Amino acid sequence: MLNKLAFRNMKRSVKDYLVYILTMTVVTALMYAFSSLIFQNGLSIHFEVEGMMEVMIGLATVFIMLIVAWLINYMVRFMLEKRSSEFGIYLLLGMKKKTVSKLYIRENILLGGVSFFLGLLLGVLFQQVLLSVMYAMVRMEFHLHIAFHAGTILMTTLCYVGCYWIALIRCRRKFKKMNIHALMNAKRQNEEIKEKHEGLKKLLFPLSIVFIFLFWTVFGSLSNMLEIVFFLIGLVLTIYLFYIGLSAWIICYVRKKGNGIYKGQNLFLLRQFASKVRTMQFTMGTLTALFTLALMGASYALMFSEYENTVLEDKFPFDVQVYSRNIEDDFADERAVIDENGTPSEYYSYHIYTDQDNQVNTWMLTHLNAWGTMYRNADGSPNMPEIEAFLKNENVYYQYDTYMGISDYNHLRRMLGYKEITINPDEYLVQIKPRLYEQVQEIGKDLQIGDASGKSQLSFAGIVSDSFSQDGHNGADYVIIVPDAVLERMTPFYKELVVDMVGEIPVDLQQKLGDLSEEERTDMSDESNDDTVEDDIRCGSDNIIVYVVVSMVRENLIPEVKYMLASIIIPLFYIGLVFISVAVTVLSVQQLSDSAKYRFRYDVLAKLGLWRREIHQLILKQLTVYYLCPAILAIVISGKMILFVSRLFVISTGVPVFAGSFFLKSILLFFGIYLVYFIVTYVGFKRNVEER
Amino acid sequence: MKDYIRVCDVEKYYGNESNVTKAVDRVSFHVEKGEFIGVMGASGSGKTTLLNMLATIDTVTAGHIYYEDTDITELSEDALSEFRKDNLGFVFQEYNLLDTLTIEENIILALTLQGGKKKEINENCSEILKLLGIADIREKFPYQVSGGQKQRCSCARALVNHPKLLLADEPTGALDSNAAQTLLETFTKLNQSMAATILMVTHDAFSASYCGRILFLKDGKIFHELVRGEKSRKIFLQEILDVLSLTGGELSDAK
Repeated sequence: MLNKLAFRNMKRSVKDYLVYILTMTVVTALMYAFSSLIFQNGLSIHFEVEGMMEVMIGLATVFIMLIVAWLINYMVRFMLEKRSSEFGIYLLLGMKKKTVSKLYIRENILLGGVSFFLGLLLGVLFQQVLLSVMYAMVRMEFHLHIAFHAGTILMTTLCYVGCYWIALIRCRRKFKKMNIHALMNAKRQNEEIKEKHEGLKKLLFPLSIVFIFLFWTVFGSLSNMLEIVFFLIGLVLTIYLFYIGLSAWIICYVRKKGNGIYKGQNLFLLRQFASKVRTMQFTMGTLTALFTLALMGASYALMFSEYENTVLEDKFPFDVQVYSRNIEDDFADERAVIDENGTPSEYYSYHIYTDQDNQVNTWMLTHLNAWGTMYRNADGSPNMPEIEAFLKNENVYYQYDTYMGISDYNHLRRMLGYKEITINPDEYLVQIKPRLYEQVQEIGKDLQIGDASGKSQLSFAGIVSDSFSQDGHNGADYVIIVPDAVLERMTPFYKELVVDMVGEIPVDLQQKLGDLSEEERTDMSDESNDDTVEDDIRCGSDNIIVYVVVSMVRENLIPEVKYMLASIIIPLFYIGLVFISVAVTVLSVQQLSDSAKYRFRYDVLAKLGLWRREIHQLILKQLTVYYLCPAILAIVISGKMILFVSRLFVISTGVPVFAGSFFLKSILLFFGIYLVYFIVTYVGFKRNVEER
Repeated sequence: MKDYIRVCDVEKYYGNESNVTKAVDRVSFHVEKGEFIGVMGASGSGKTTLLNMLATIDTVTAGHIYYEDTDITELSEDALSEFRKDNLGFVFQEYNLLDTLTIEENIILALTLQGGKKKEINENCSEILKLLGIADIREKFPYQVSGGQKQRCSCARALVNHPKLLLADEPTGALDSNAAQTLLETFTKLNQSMAATILMVTHDAFSASYCGRILFLKDGKIFHELVRGEKSRKIFLQEILDVLSLTGGELSDAK
């Protein structure tokens, strides 16, 4: 009998809480798809960064589990509240509390079970999509392979059951404390509107706006940990206090009888909104925090994926390129490996020269956006002691300026399919990374490069910004191209080998070349790494994503870096998606259940003579305000952090888009999901209100 | 006096072809301006259905209802909303106050929906609050005041726009006897001083005795009509009880 009752109740709940079930289904599907990357990831063995994806997904799953547990707990409590009078009747009929709590828990398990199995089915589909996207990213062929994997299912189940377990334990405790009268009356009780100290609470509203303003102005210049922690705590407080302030502010406005309340249905809207915000101010705060995190996650993911799609392709222009600090190196070992593993069509080796000076390095450190005014004195002149220390200790620029002869340069250009460039014997060129082109326009005015005799100066012939492998191979950031004759008064600095290949390149060529060199280093951080001092390669002012290797094989490196980036992008998107869905679900469920509970409010308005159309507009307005409020607050708060980071990202990686675009795109993405839930809620709301 | 409201052969059927319930069966009557009319009947006699049709919140199956020259059975939905806004006031057993608004704001909202100036609205609102004796609780929320006060607020909201007809559905149903009496006296006062036309549905003989005329409904049909005329309320109450006991009304079980 109990089972039958539980089943029937579950069926009814499905109708009432469709939004919740949909969300849980999608969450299960996402969990399944993403955890399959841990267990069914056929890709990871192909890459050096093996294990990174797994760790990142695992980490994301922990956060997601916490949030999903919160959602379930929220929903279980919420449904309990809505159905308390029904449970009161069960108790009145003589059921034991234990039986009732068992019944409710059973119902929830059934409800959870339905979304779990639907979710698994959907998850297999999601997984295939996800995998095919990833394979495409790393340029491998993907074969559709639909199969359940025990590990994946086990992990999804454990996560899911874990979430439910935490939520239901608390629910049982709640049952113990109830009495029949309270249960039966719970539904009749309207939310009581407590208005106390509104004048004081009202101050929180301008206060939190001031704090947000302050946050926008000083965030960029926060320097030490203490300040950052202070601001983060302030931000969290602001998010929560904002809603207390907002509702108090509206209440005061209404009480003061501001002119606005005498227009149309404003009075109703304002009161409705204020009381809703008041009764769920804590939840609203949490939702705002979730939106903020989701927006940040999506924006950062978009940054990396933009990099991957634009800059990365140009990072390795040569099929194979090898660095050697030995200026006598004949690259015999490398050639042997290449000959053995592929079909080289041309080898070309050349020197990078130096004049043992660092006027170009100094110019870069004092003029590029990446450094700002860090290496200038107060009067604008270069701070030489700092610059010399920097060149010596940091892995950014070579200790001396780097030069290349025009004939080597044109040979390399031919290999890359670029047009050759001719310069007069008394001219020089600046070859620079594409992203720095705009920033070095003035460079010709300041450089003084001696001609072959050293007696007179070469004149500036222009700047070239074709992709030219300038992360340490053909110079760091730049190389100065001079007539061959000028090289005679310079010394060779290091040696490079480039190879043109035909036909297929084996996937492990990079590995094999790497084995030859003990100096190979990989780096994937935004910190300068002091632990690789023996590594001579300097990568230039690139930051955030830097991949420094002695031997580079394009066909191997691009997928490798892409895979590495994917293990950041994918978990970030995962978190963003789940957080948004969970937060919007709470908003929707709240509104839908209110629409059923407070249907009479709209009945009253209809009796007061509001047209049906006007009531629809009213509902639309009410939902819009209610949905937009946490979204806008989240956008304002996350905006500063996202814009700050994306500006840095654009400066230091050179993605060819304007910094705000990531933020805008993630807002669009966000509102896409938002809109779906909004429409579902609006339609459901209208239906509930009009039901007779 | 000219007929104010004319109900002509109104019918309301529920159900499908095989099982038809006649909730209201060919009912006709007239209401004059400034009248306080009661409709009495047992549960299921069709009195609330009749009221709902008069209130334009339910449609007739057949027949016509005229408010002066307007036939409301012919109006579109939007026109009905407009009509309701301009002509009708409602008082229900369940008060139907908006719980998020204070007593005063409930009345202000009704006025704002009609459109008006702030000053005018505030004046009208204060006036009606005073008239109904609830000015001192204007700042309170509905959940903070008694049932009688809520019902008076509901009346205030219904009357503040000077409707052609005030419709009351069991207004005393949820009130204690004192509060009920106060409310009914208020109705009488409003009827006399503001010349408000009131139609009240009730199954309580005591409440009905405040009316000027009573229609008795049974199984969807009008079967009797009582007019108070110059009689005192006590005598009128006795007459009502007599009709009820004769015809198996609410009191039939007691006898």
